[in-house]
Amino acid sequence: MGAANLDTYVHRESVIHRWSPRLKLVSLVALMFAFAMVRQLTLVPWMLALAATLYGLSGLPVSFLRQRLSYPGLFILSLVVVLPLTVGDTVLGQWGWLTLRQEGLQATLLIVGRFLSILTLGFILLGTTPFLTLLNAMRSLGLPTILADMTLLSYRYLFEIATMLATMQQAMRLRGFGQRRQRWLRINGQVMQQLAMLAGNLLIRSYEQSDRVYRAMRLRGYGYGGKIVVGQSAAAQPSTLSWMLAAAVLTAAVSLVIAEGLLRL
Amino acid sequence: MHIPDGILPAQVCAAGYAITGVATWYSLRQINRKPDPAAEIPKASLLTAAFFVASSIYIPVPPASVHLILNGLLGVVLGYFAFPAILIGLFFQALVIGHGGITTLGINAAMMGIPALLAYHIFQSRNAVGKMLKEPTRTGVFSFLGGALGLGIAALIFLALIIFNIPAELNAGAEQAAVLTLSVGHIPLAIIEGIFTTMLVLFLRRVKPELLEG
Repeated sequence: MGAANLDTYVHRESVIHRWSPRLKLVSLVALMFAFAMVRQLTLVPWMLALAATLYGLSGLPVSFLRQRLSYPGLFILSLVVVLPLTVGDTVLGQWGWLTLRQEGLQATLLIVGRFLSILTLGFILLGTTPFLTLLNAMRSLGLPTILADMTLLSYRYLFEIATMLATMQQAMRLRGFGQRRQRWLRINGQVMQQLAMLAGNLLIRSYEQSDRVYRAMRLRGYGYGGKIVVGQSAAAQPSTLSWMLAAAVLTAAVSLVIAEGLLRL
Repeated sequence: MHIPDGILPAQVCAAGYAITGVATWYSLRQINRKPDPAAEIPKASLLTAAFFVASSIYIPVPPASVHLILNGLLGVVLGYFAFPAILIGLFFQALVIGHGGITTLGINAAMMGIPALLAYHIFQSRNAVGKMLKEPTRTGVFSFLGGALGLGIAALIFLALIIFNIPAELNAGAEQAAVLTLSVGHIPLAIIEGIFTTMLVLFLRRVKPELLEG
């Protein structure tokens, strides 16, 4: 699932790593929303520069960003690739039936710029904060207990269930599943039935496991009012550096919003 | 079928979070009314993880394959836990594989979660509405409706959001034509999702009926 390396760089030493998780979460999410508000093309370089500066401060390797951007990058390219060719009236160039239009090109640059900047911030947040610490920070900011417990338990069993599915799929292949050639653009009802039973078996196994998990949790006091606390506590007092970073990022976010408003006038 | 970061304006993202906030509050309120909500949490959590993993199963349609969303099935099996489960699943997807986004988490959760709750109510209404049908046809028909409408409505919301928010310069006629064309294109996918949901629900009905008690 490509998730095993989720916490690979979280134990490095940088100002962003040392930033209090709660302040980091609030500041970076606020900046992401400020980025999402940008509609003026002139602000895109500023936005990218801000994201690049924060990424540089985080000390995360460029390969981490490149690797993480590849899949969502392809997805967004497939969405916006037609815009410069179909949207707008101002023709910038024409090659046979291909017409490059200014308005579409501007919309693409804006979307790609916002996408890159917001995703970079997301990867900074994830790459410098252990997942469980992030969850504790969200809980201390008011995430309901049911949601926090569900997230924690789902995360705990996610990789185990993924391994279970991989084993079941391998067992199916060893028994000849997927060997028969299918006709083009046709769905084989038998194959679909077998896949539905595969998914059904996965749900049943997880359901049965959950019963054992619940009994074990009950024995350890779950459901009697105590909270599950895991990972680094997010409630520690933030340092001066944390407050300064938060102030700088929030100022940048507000400045972007003001600049956007002024440029729109 | 996830809206990535950077596509939608901040106002739409904020509205998405507001809708998701209300839907989550409503779902949690319904969950807390259950006799022992704490007992349900491990079940819902492991099933959330299982659904997240099961959504990686592809239906082969040579030369390509169809990726299932399973939001209707989630509603049918998890009931009011479906909305938090979808929210958590999308949060994982945004963090782990960069699919979807943090700013669009609210709108994506609302887009997939509200049809899932609708699928739950459709499936639960089978005993009240579908009395003229015998079992297992009744369960089959209502699970098909839940699965197909779960995906169908989510696809409609997705297409409307994408088309009405990306290019401001597209004229209204072109937008309507694009929505119509892409919506028609999603009908086969909704049917596949409905058939898969029916097969899976009928399997669960035979093997583990308590999973369908919602």
